[in-house]
Amino acid sequence: MAFLNPQTTKPIDGSIPSAIVPKKKATVFNTFKRDYQLWLMILPAIIVIIIFNYIPMYGIQLAFREYDFTKGLTGGEWVGLKYFKQFIDSFMFADLMTNTVVISLATIILGFPAPIILALIINQVVWKKWKKTIQTTVYLPHFISMVVMVGLLNVLLSPNSGVVGHIASSLGFDVNLLASEKAFVPVYVLSDIWQHAGWNSIIYLAALASVDPELYDSAKIDGASRWQTIRYVDLPAIVPTMIILFILSMGNILNTGFEKIFLMQNPLNLPVSEVIATYVYKIGIISNQFSYSAAIGLFNTLINFAFLLAMNYIAKRFSNISLW
Amino acid sequence: MKKVVNGILALSLSAGVLAGCSDDEAGTEEKGEVTKDGKAKLTALITKHPLTQDVNKMEWLQEVEERAGVEIKWEEVTADWDQKKGALLTSGDVPDLIIGPNAITDADHVQFPGLFEDLSDDLDKSLPNVKVMFDEKPETKEIATQLDGNIYGLPKYQRFWPATATRQFINQQWLENLGLKAPTNWDELYTVLKAFKEEDANGNGDKSDEIPMDFSPTGTVGFGFFQPTVLLGSTGITLTDASGAGYFAEDGKVKNFLTDERYKEMVAFLHKCYKEGLISKEVFTQDYTKYQSVARGKDDVAKVGYTYGWEVTDRFGNTLAPQYMSLAPLKVSANSTEQVSWSYDFNGLNYGANMVTLSSQSKNKEAALKFINELYDPEVSMQVLFGSLGTNIEDKGDGSYKVLPPADEKMDPGTWKWTSTFADNGPMYISDDLKLELGTDMQSVGKQTEPFMPALDAVDKENDVLPSMFIKYSKEDNSKLSLNNTNLMTLALSKYSQWITKGGIEKEWDAYVKQAEKTGLPENLEIMQKYYDEYKQK
Amino acid sequence: MSLLSKKGKSTSDLIFDIIIFVLCAFVFLIVAYPLYFVIIASVSDSTLVSTGQVTLYPKGFSLFGYKEIFNDSRIWVGYKNTIIYTVLGTAVNLLFTLPAAYVLSRPEFKARRALMFIFVFTMFFNGGLIPTYLLIKELGLTNSMWVFILPFSVNVFNLIITRTFFETSLPKELFEAAQMDGCSHFQFFGKIALPLSKAVISVVGLYYLVGHWNDFFTGLIYIRDYSLQPLQIVLRDILLANQVFAEGAGSGGAAGGYAQKYADQIKYGVIIVSTLPILLVYPFIQKYFEKGVMIGSVKG
Repeated sequence: MAFLNPQTTKPIDGSIPSAIVPKKKATVFNTFKRDYQLWLMILPAIIVIIIFNYIPMYGIQLAFREYDFTKGLTGGEWVGLKYFKQFIDSFMFADLMTNTVVISLATIILGFPAPIILALIINQVVWKKWKKTIQTTVYLPHFISMVVMVGLLNVLLSPNSGVVGHIASSLGFDVNLLASEKAFVPVYVLSDIWQHAGWNSIIYLAALASVDPELYDSAKIDGASRWQTIRYVDLPAIVPTMIILFILSMGNILNTGFEKIFLMQNPLNLPVSEVIATYVYKIGIISNQFSYSAAIGLFNTLINFAFLLAMNYIAKRFSNISLW
Repeated sequence: MKKVVNGILALSLSAGVLAGCSDDEAGTEEKGEVTKDGKAKLTALITKHPLTQDVNKMEWLQEVEERAGVEIKWEEVTADWDQKKGALLTSGDVPDLIIGPNAITDADHVQFPGLFEDLSDDLDKSLPNVKVMFDEKPETKEIATQLDGNIYGLPKYQRFWPATATRQFINQQWLENLGLKAPTNWDELYTVLKAFKEEDANGNGDKSDEIPMDFSPTGTVGFGFFQPTVLLGSTGITLTDASGAGYFAEDGKVKNFLTDERYKEMVAFLHKCYKEGLISKEVFTQDYTKYQSVARGKDDVAKVGYTYGWEVTDRFGNTLAPQYMSLAPLKVSANSTEQVSWSYDFNGLNYGANMVTLSSQSKNKEAALKFINELYDPEVSMQVLFGSLGTNIEDKGDGSYKVLPPADEKMDPGTWKWTSTFADNGPMYISDDLKLELGTDMQSVGKQTEPFMPALDAVDKENDVLPSMFIKYSKEDNSKLSLNNTNLMTLALSKYSQWITKGGIEKEWDAYVKQAEKTGLPENLEIMQKYYDEYKQK
Repeated sequence: MSLLSKKGKSTSDLIFDIIIFVLCAFVFLIVAYPLYFVIIASVSDSTLVSTGQVTLYPKGFSLFGYKEIFNDSRIWVGYKNTIIYTVLGTAVNLLFTLPAAYVLSRPEFKARRALMFIFVFTMFFNGGLIPTYLLIKELGLTNSMWVFILPFSVNVFNLIITRTFFETSLPKELFEAAQMDGCSHFQFFGKIALPLSKAVISVVGLYYLVGHWNDFFTGLIYIRDYSLQPLQIVLRDILLANQVFAEGAGSGGAAGGYAQKYADQIKYGVIIVSTLPILLVYPFIQKYFEKGVMIGSVKG
C-alpha cells in the first residue's frame, strides 16, 4: 500500500508555505487531524463507491467459475482460466481483436482531436450570436438515439435515395457506402465525430472560459497574432484536460460502442464489424453463457486497464500530469 | 497494491454476508395475499407485442380473472426482455406467472432449476383443460416435457396458421404488360427478371426504375423468413421454420445446407442475377422498413417485380396489392426431376413452447393454476388469440363463431388483433373442432398459400422435416450448439452476401467448407443427429 | 498604444476571422442538415422519407406522429418522473462529486493518489449486472424512485474532470492567502473554490443532467411499476408500438400497412420530444462558458 509507506511519498511541493509543512515527513496518519475536513468532504463519495462499485465486485469470480444457479454466483465449480482459454483459442479471436482495435484506434486518432479543434474554433468566433448558434447546434446531435442515428445513416447514405449517396454518385463514385467493407470504419468514425464532437467540446470550452482575460490583453500588447494567441494562450489552458482525457480514452482501447456497431452490422461488413462487444452479446445474451461472457469481459478490462496504466505512466513522466 | 485489493475483497464479502441477513421478511407471510373480497392476489409478467394495449383493459381477461377468483397485478414488457430476464432469473426474483412466447426458454429451465413449478403432477387435478390439449395433440406434451420428465412451461397450439410463412409474389401486371408467362423454373425466372429490368415493365415511361427482385434483410445472426433461401426448395431441400442456421432434415438425416452443393448452386444463381442488376443494389444494407417502403412503389406505379412476403396487402399496400400474385415454387430448370419443396413452417407458426410458467415460490399456487387452466378453456383460448367476445368475435349462437372486422376502419385485421389482445403471444389451445370463421386477413393468407400447397403436401413430414421445436437438448449440448452456430453464422452470412454481390463462390467454396468445419459444424450435426434419432424412436 | 497595434493587425486578423467564419459555416451546415432532416422527417410520410423523396422540405405533411406521441397519457407521467429524477439526481451527484473533486485536487492531501486509484479502478472493474442487481434489491431500492438517484451517484469520469479543473484553475496562492486569513477548507471550498468554478460545475452538472435524462437502463432493469418509469422508457414503448413491421409479419401475424405510412414519423418525433427540454436548459449553462467568467466572479 503505497500511501502507508513514507519512503514512497514525494516531498510536497516547495511552494507550500512552511507553516503547513510539518517537521516530520507528512503521512496519511499524521496529517489526518490536520486534514479532517478534507476527509469529511470526500467521505460521501468513498462510501457511495464502496457500496455500489466495490461490494458487487465479488461477481468477477464468475469468470473463473462454472455458473451454477443453485449454488449462487460464488458457488459454482472453479474452472480457473477455462473460459479465457476458450476465448483465446476460439475461431473468432484474431478477427475480433483486430476489428476491435482498428475501430477504437481510428475513433481515438480521429475522434480525440476533433472536439479540441472545434472548441478552439468556436472560441475564436467574435460575433456573439453566431457563436451561440453554432455552439448550440453542434451539441445537439449528441441527443439522437443510436437507433435513429443508424436509421439516419441508412437513409442519407443509401446509394439510390440518400443525399450523400446522390452527391457521391454525381461526383462519379458509384459506391454503396453501407455495403463496403472498406467504408465501414470511416463511416462509423466520422458519424461518431459528427454526433459527439460538439458535445465533447463543451469541456474544452469551459476550460477556455477560465483563461484570465488579462492574458489575452497582454498577448495583444505583445503583438501576438490571433494564431499565436491560440498557440500560446488557449492551447496551454486546455492541455491538462486534454492529457487526462487522452489517458482515459486509451483505457477504452477494447471498448467500442456496442449498440451502434450492432445496428450498423450487415452481412457484407461483418468481416470488419464483428467486435468483442457484439460477439459477447451474441453468445452471452442469446445463448446464456454467463461465465464465458464474464471471462471475455474481464479479459477486455485487463487489457484496457494495462493500457491506462501505461498511458498514465508515460503522461506522468513527460508532462507531470496524471490520473493519480 | 495486492493488499488493497485483498482488503477490498474482504470488505465487500463481509458486506455481502451482512446484506444477506436481511432476507427473512419474505418468510413471515406463509399464506398468499388476498384482496378484501377474498380474491387471491397474484403478480404476473407478460412479454407482449409492442402494439398490444394495456392488458388491464382486455374484457375477456377481466372475466377470466373473475372466474378464477384472482386479482393480477400485471407487469407488461414490450422490449429488451432478454436483458431484464437475466437479472430477474439470476436473482430468483420472479413473479407468480410469466406469460409470453418462449419467455422462459428450455435453456433457462435447465440453467435455473427449481425456479419454476413442475406442472406435470397438476394436470389431472388442477389443469383439466391442459390435459385435454395433451390428449388431443400429444405433440404439445412433447414440446412441454423437459429432459428430466418435468413440465415447467405450457405450450400453445393455434391451428389456423398456414404451413409456410414465406410466400413468393410476382407482379402479374408486369408480366401481362410485357407479354410474359409466369416463370416455372430458375431459368425462366432469370429471363423474366431480365425483361423487367430492360423493359418499362410498369409502364411509367422510365425503363430503369424497376427493381426486378428484392428480398428481406438478412441480418447478422441467421437466415429468416422472406429470403431467397426458400429457393433451396427447388433443389429438394425442405427448410423448417426458415432454417435460420442452415439445418434441415433429409431422409432422416440432419444436414446443413451451408456446406451443401445445392446451396452453392443457388448462391451462384443469385449472383448471376445480382451481376445483371436484377436484384436490388441495397438488398443487404436496407432495413426492413425500407424493404417494405420500396415495395409500396409510388402511388399506383409498382417498383418491385418479384419478392417474398407474408401477405400481399401487408407487403405492397392496398393500392398495389391487386397487381401481385403468389407464384408456385419453381423447379431448378425445365428438365429437373427433383420433387420441388418449400419452407415448411407449420410447427413454428402453430405451436409455441413455454407460453406460461408458474413460479415455484408462488404463495397462491392453487389460484394461479386455476387461472392458467381458464386460459386453456376453448372459448377463452379463442379470445386470447382474437380478442373479446362481442367486440372482436361474434357468437353466432349455434356453437360457431366469427372473427369480426376491426372497429376502426383504417385499421387492418392483423393490427386490430395485435392491438386488442395477447394474440399469438398468449397461451392457448385452439382445438381442431372449433367452428370459427376467420377474418379477411387470415382468409387471404390461406388463399395466397394455395399455390404452395402441392409442394408442401409432398413433404415427407416424418423424414424431411426437422422437428427442432420438439427436441430438448442437455445444457452442455445446448451451449455447444449455440456457440458453434454463432461462429458458423458469422462466417457463412458474410460469405453468402459477398458471393451474391461480388461472386467468387467457385474459387472459394472448398476453403470455405473447410473453415465451416472448423467452427464446429460436424460436432453440431453429430449432436443433433443423436437427439433426432432418439426423438424418432419415441 | 493598444489601439495602434490593433490597427496594424487588422488585415491578418480579418483574414483569420474569415477563415474562422468559413470553417464554422461548414461545420454548421454539416451538423444542421441532418438535424433539419430529422425535423422534416417527423412530419412527412414515412414511405416517402425512406425512399429518399424527402430532402429539403416536408412531403405528405402530417402531424400523426406527434399526435400519437402526445395522445399517450403515459408520456406526461414519464416527463414528470424524468424531471424529478433528473433534478434530484443531479443535485445529489454534485453534492457528492464537487467536494470529493476538491479534496482530490489538494496537493497537500496525502491520500489523494491512493484514493484516486481506488476511484479509477471502478471505471474498469465491476462485478457485472447480477451482483449489482442483488445488492440494489437487498438495499430495497428496486422499484423505487431512489434507484435513479442514489446508486452510482459519483461518476468517476466527471470526478476526474472536476478535479483536473480545480487543479489548474485554482491558483495555489489563492488558498495560501485564504489560509492566512484563517480560512478553513470548508470555507475556502464554499466561498472561493465553488464561485470560481462555475464553468466546470455547469459542464459536470450538464453531464450528469443529460445522463439522468437519457437513462433508460435503470428503468428497464430495476423498475416494475409503470407509473415510476422515466420518459425514455415510455418513448421507447411508443416507438416500438409503431415499428412493428420489423417483426410483425415475421412473428406470424400480418401487422398490416396501417401504420406503415407514419411509422418513422414517430421515430423522429420521439427525438424531438425528448430533446427539446434539454435544449431549453443549455442557454442557461452556456453563459458560464463566456471568456473571463471566472475572474469576474473573483473580483466581484
